[in-house]
Amino acid sequence: MATDSTVPVIVLADLTKRYGSGEAEHTVLDGLNLTIEKGEFIAIMGPSGCGKTTLLNILGLLDRADEGDYFLDGRSVDAMTSARMARIRSSQIGFVFQSFNLVSRLTVIENVALPLTYQGVSKTKRLQAASKMLSTFHLSEREYYMPWQLSGGQTQRVAIARALVNNPSIVLADEPTGNLDSRSSHVIMEELADIHARGNTIIMVTHNPDLTSYATRVIRMNDGKIDSDSAAPRPKKPKTAPKKALGKIRKSARIAKKKVKEEATA
Amino acid sequence: MMRLLVINHLTNAYEALRSNRLRTFLTILGVTIGVASIVVILSLSAGAAKIISDQVDQLGGTIAVVRPGSPGHDAELSGLTAALAGNTTTSSLTEHDVDTLQSIQNVSAAAPVMFIGGSVTAKGSTPKDVSIIATTPAFTQVTPIKMSDGQFIDSVTDDDTAVIGSQLSIDLFGTDQSAGRTLHTHGKQFTVIGILKANNNPVNYNNIDYDHAVFISLQSGKSFNQGVAAIQQINIRTNSQDALNGVVSVADKQLAANHNGEKDYAILSGSNLAGPTNTLFGSFAVMLVVVAAISLIVGGIGIMNIMLVGVTERTREIGIRKAIGASVSHITWQFLIEALTMSIAGGICGYLVGYLVAFSIARTFLTFDPAFTWFIMYCSAAISLFVGIIFGLYPAIRAANKDPIEALRNYH
Repeated sequence: MATDSTVPVIVLADLTKRYGSGEAEHTVLDGLNLTIEKGEFIAIMGPSGCGKTTLLNILGLLDRADEGDYFLDGRSVDAMTSARMARIRSSQIGFVFQSFNLVSRLTVIENVALPLTYQGVSKTKRLQAASKMLSTFHLSEREYYMPWQLSGGQTQRVAIARALVNNPSIVLADEPTGNLDSRSSHVIMEELADIHARGNTIIMVTHNPDLTSYATRVIRMNDGKIDSDSAAPRPKKPKTAPKKALGKIRKSARIAKKKVKEEATA
Repeated sequence: MMRLLVINHLTNAYEALRSNRLRTFLTILGVTIGVASIVVILSLSAGAAKIISDQVDQLGGTIAVVRPGSPGHDAELSGLTAALAGNTTTSSLTEHDVDTLQSIQNVSAAAPVMFIGGSVTAKGSTPKDVSIIATTPAFTQVTPIKMSDGQFIDSVTDDDTAVIGSQLSIDLFGTDQSAGRTLHTHGKQFTVIGILKANNNPVNYNNIDYDHAVFISLQSGKSFNQGVAAIQQINIRTNSQDALNGVVSVADKQLAANHNGEKDYAILSGSNLAGPTNTLFGSFAVMLVVVAAISLIVGGIGIMNIMLVGVTERTREIGIRKAIGASVSHITWQFLIEALTMSIAGGICGYLVGYLVAFSIARTFLTFDPAFTWFIMYCSAAISLFVGIIFGLYPAIRAANKDPIEALRNYH
């Protein structure tokens, strides 16, 4: 979807979200103000229960705020119907979750093609687009695997491929590396950094401070408020994963891939 | 766009149902049993109704029947009960009416039918369920009956002679070659002069079970009823099909004159002839369909049950689908189509199994085949659609209204 580059992708004004009622009422987001420009890679950090995931759900139009305004591409989402929100989710937003991202009944390629289903793209075109997307993530050989046949890192890469297949303006990632070992984590982060480099806006929630080095901007939250908001120094190659180490990781990933393939053929 | 989604929902439903084969099979079986029982009932009752219309067709649509009682529903019911009870209730129809009808232009034959109660005895054996019918020789012209031996009562031989059904002959004499033998009824002796061909068709517009019938002359019949002819039915046959309507209206006028303007008779022709029998089978069918509907409800509950289980199992999937852009209506349709796939599959299987069962019942116990009608096909289609929608809608709405955040939070 074509968007005016001068309008910020996301503007939050005084956003408040509460859960429960009466004495049990609990403010999760407390008057949040935030502007996100197109092309930013934002890492949201903070302790458990500080409202990171709630914020991400509201940004992804899965949840509505109780008070305050949310402008997505300059339009208020306040008055939108749930059907309109679903349409925006399918056309403009890509989600990556921490775990169990894929529909277990569907093959890898069908999972990746799923968002296009709800845009009314024909099956052939859907599968072509999904196949193309999978090949950019070096998963072409896994197209007809079932999700349970993949490793955690592969699953997450498939999920990212799915988040990107509808060419969204925002990618939302909720602890995308939460269930992965550090090696796979960095492979995933490399992929996210890659798609950011291609001009996508990425908003990622994470616990892991190491991963913030991939982001252009780090937001720390506490008790439903923004504690600090700083532009992260943007090293072209992150310190934690120098080129050599990364090459090693990719090589071992390739070997593992080959092994899986051999097992599959055997 | 909508078409694409429907195809997509269908493949989705197929995949989902295939992944739980046994569960799907059992659920479909529930609907199959329900639809099958309804198909059995409807096809058999339609088959019974068809016999009568076939008989009417066989005579080229030239038959009209006069029965006592006022026209309309009462006439149909009295026509039924008189025949079923087999009694000699007083009747508003007289021999004079028979003569009147006979003399109408274009009427080729008019025959009275008088049902007489009582039993028949020969050589000490007294079979049950015998109907004694007194009529005139003209009866052969108004009803398609065939003789296997001898002749029907005629004007020369009508005193103390009888024509009997083939099964009755076997019951009485141990053989269907019983011409010349004697039987007793109402203290009088009759000589058998003819045996009817086995007909095996107790359903007909005369309400006579020919195989178990004794035909005697109207004179003999009157002698058992203090000399009065209690005529339950007069059959008329016209020269041609075109003449039938004219004859019916002339007959109506002349009978009205005979009865001093009192409409205590009814003239049935064409499809009306099957009316009383249809009413009888129809009311049986309605009762049985109500019972079968209960099994359909049970089948529907099976669908709802399994769909609710499916919704719970796939909470996570619903969350993912919603997050990547599925709207409430997408999810509703996905689950509704899944339920409909099961109910329609059940409907198709039920239709086939129903006819299979109907044919085996008909060939084993009955004298007619079940009928194929569009109504039964539409009916099973409508029933399975209805069951799928009624019992699939609630689980589908429940799936669609699942909070995506809750659905995604359930990591397990």
